[in-house]
Amino acid sequence: MSVTAVLAAFTVVVTAYFVAYNLSQFAMAGVAGRFLWRYRRRRNPRNLALVARLAAPPFVSIVVPAHNEALTIVNSVRALLALEYETREIVVVNDGSKDDTLAIMTKEFALVEAPVAFEQPLKSAPLRGVYRSLAEPALIVIDKINGGSKSDAVNAGINAASGRLVLVIDADTMLEPDALSRAAMPFLEHPDTVAVGCYVAIANGCRIEHNRVTDVAMPRSWLARFQIVEYMRSFLLFRLACASRNGVALISGAFGLFLRDAVIDVGGYDGTAIGEDMDLTLRLQAYYRERKRPIRIAHVPLPVCWTQAPEDWQSMRAQRCRWRRGLLQVLWRQRRMIGNPRYGIIGMGVLPYIAVFEGLGPLIELSGYIVTTIAFFLGLLDWQHWRAMLAASILFGAATTLVSVFLSDVSTRKYFRPSDLALLVTSAILENAGYRQLNAWWGCVGTVQAMTGKSGWGTMKRKAF
Amino acid sequence: MNHIAATFESYALLLVGVALAFAVATILAVVIERFVVAGHEAWLRRTTRHYTPLVRLALAGDPGARGALRRSPSWHRLTIARMILIPLIADRDPARIADARELIDVLPLMPFADRLLRSPWWWRRAMALRALGAMQADDYTGAIVAALDDSNDDVRNTALDALADMQNPASLPAIVVRLHDASLHRARRAAVLAAFGSQCEPFLLDLAAVDTEHRLNYARALGICGTAAARPILCAWIADSRAAVRAAALDALSRIGVDRASMPFAIAALEDRDAAVRAMAAAALHGHADRDTAASLARHLDDTWAVAVRAARSLQTMEAAGRAELEARATGAGLPALLAQQMLWDTKGSR
Repeated sequence: MSVTAVLAAFTVVVTAYFVAYNLSQFAMAGVAGRFLWRYRRRRNPRNLALVARLAAPPFVSIVVPAHNEALTIVNSVRALLALEYETREIVVVNDGSKDDTLAIMTKEFALVEAPVAFEQPLKSAPLRGVYRSLAEPALIVIDKINGGSKSDAVNAGINAASGRLVLVIDADTMLEPDALSRAAMPFLEHPDTVAVGCYVAIANGCRIEHNRVTDVAMPRSWLARFQIVEYMRSFLLFRLACASRNGVALISGAFGLFLRDAVIDVGGYDGTAIGEDMDLTLRLQAYYRERKRPIRIAHVPLPVCWTQAPEDWQSMRAQRCRWRRGLLQVLWRQRRMIGNPRYGIIGMGVLPYIAVFEGLGPLIELSGYIVTTIAFFLGLLDWQHWRAMLAASILFGAATTLVSVFLSDVSTRKYFRPSDLALLVTSAILENAGYRQLNAWWGCVGTVQAMTGKSGWGTMKRKAF
Repeated sequence: MNHIAATFESYALLLVGVALAFAVATILAVVIERFVVAGHEAWLRRTTRHYTPLVRLALAGDPGARGALRRSPSWHRLTIARMILIPLIADRDPARIADARELIDVLPLMPFADRLLRSPWWWRRAMALRALGAMQADDYTGAIVAALDDSNDDVRNTALDALADMQNPASLPAIVVRLHDASLHRARRAAVLAAFGSQCEPFLLDLAAVDTEHRLNYARALGICGTAAARPILCAWIADSRAAVRAAALDALSRIGVDRASMPFAIAALEDRDAAVRAMAAAALHGHADRDTAASLARHLDDTWAVAVRAARSLQTMEAAGRAELEARATGAGLPALLAQQMLWDTKGSR
């Protein structure tokens, strides 16, 4: 077979892959749009008042793993105590912090060491003490030896939780005041609900007061702007499309509301999983579907929680490589589910899609650039075709992202200033020329790291709000 | 292969054209949507600002304001109706509801609600039902009950909300009959029972007497709205062959409160083979300052965790008898001792 024939075959494969990917994105946009439209119609003040009309709303334990969070923990806990949901407790897990996290909390919330009995069905590193607050009866603080992962801390918190539902968040997650009422709704409406995720929005650029987002605005950093449109695409296209078919494969670690018993049934968070959130979601799906028990994992398509995105290249690279390693690890661990009709839509639709378009995507994209370079040096590059593919790639990429910007604007109207909208549209176009390619490169680096057994989270520089 | 590649290349420009069209269309959609939304919101702000004082005066009975609202253009009516009705979701003061209903009659907005109720669009029917419930339009009880059989599940559930808001006893038989309708959200079924409270009890007891299959639902319902009158039947259900029914009956007893006559049933249920039943029995015995009961409960501090926790919480409520048992256990080791220590600590803290 000649070099020309190999290049032609490669062109066919890449073009077919590209067309299939973009068609799937537009198909998902249609499904997500319908889901969002129906959600908007159902979202009204009377529906939200349902929790308040119940004699016994479900008790929710909010589990907050905290490792060296001395600067932010007090504001975070105060914001959680101010949530518009009465039947809740807050379980902060001080995961072997080396800073003054525990001392500051002790002073601020009048913590005292107190007997608190609970079973420990989930494995975690040994506890050093349990504290209750004399000022805030709904606050419990677990002090434990660092277990080396967020999963370990969350498991300790779930053990101590007394709620039927557990909300797992990051210490720096900022919640909307009605976040719990909204997230609890699927549990009230469908008895088969075992978990609820939500649209995690990026807080960079927003005004934050007392750990609450009070004014939404676009950040100055282009890196953060690209991530905003990227999150919109991820949360408002793929995840909504999955949710509309009861095929949620990932509940973000920044906000996940779970049936406590269900999490315990599957053994809790796995400390060895790099992508512990996706790992847990898929184990829940597998556990219930293998036992032919009904399962529903819901998704709230509104930004009920906010998180901080990295604004420097190093943190971004570390995060993306870790996500990549996590994705590949989960796909490998759950490979029995891929293409297996026993797992319903997850096995036959969602996981094959993730494997083909997210698992292989960066590799195909990078190989495209390599082959193009080789073809260029061999004088075999068809410039007209190359330019057309590049233009189509950028335009289709921009169009799908713009659809998610449109859906976000229609459903949430968060970025309401015209200048912010202009920046969103510009970011949606520009992210296709550089940012996406960089992500593909980091994806490949992450793949190599996964194959060579690299572990660890890397470091993320955070800015104080 | 080369032939296929050539075909792809011939379609490349078409692909670019389609991509460009999509990109431009989405940008236009975003911009147009933003203009439409901004225009609508500005109109809404202006209209709300204009009608807010008029609605306030009209609700207070001012004839001038009512006249001005009556003369408002028809396309403002929905906004005015919202201004009158949305505050009623949080504020269920009967006087305020009566004022709102009277104003809605005067305007007149009822024909508008009638039209919405007959709309082919489910969200319009749901909107009308919410409005009728909020203003307790008793004349429409029949229509709302009929909406419980609507083809759309959102409309059916909204009808249940509306009946909960109306609290018209005439609708109770229809509500109780639908207690087992799984297409209605469980929380909404619970909320409507909570709204009516003990008014539901006679209907539930009558139906429960003849419908043994759905006993679990009746037990759960009595847990929400039952009174002392339900104790005998709940005690009888503690002997049911289904563990879920036994547990639900004890849970209901726990909420209603166990009296002298029902206490032996609850104490006997502490020895049930099912842990969930034992847990509910332990919970049901709270508040009884009786040494024997406390001793029975204390034995279950070593039981399955769900039972032990409830036994400990009940002991915590038993004054001296419970405290003595907890103090005796608190000196030991292990989880039961820690549980006893926690209950004693909590009691001290609550004082």
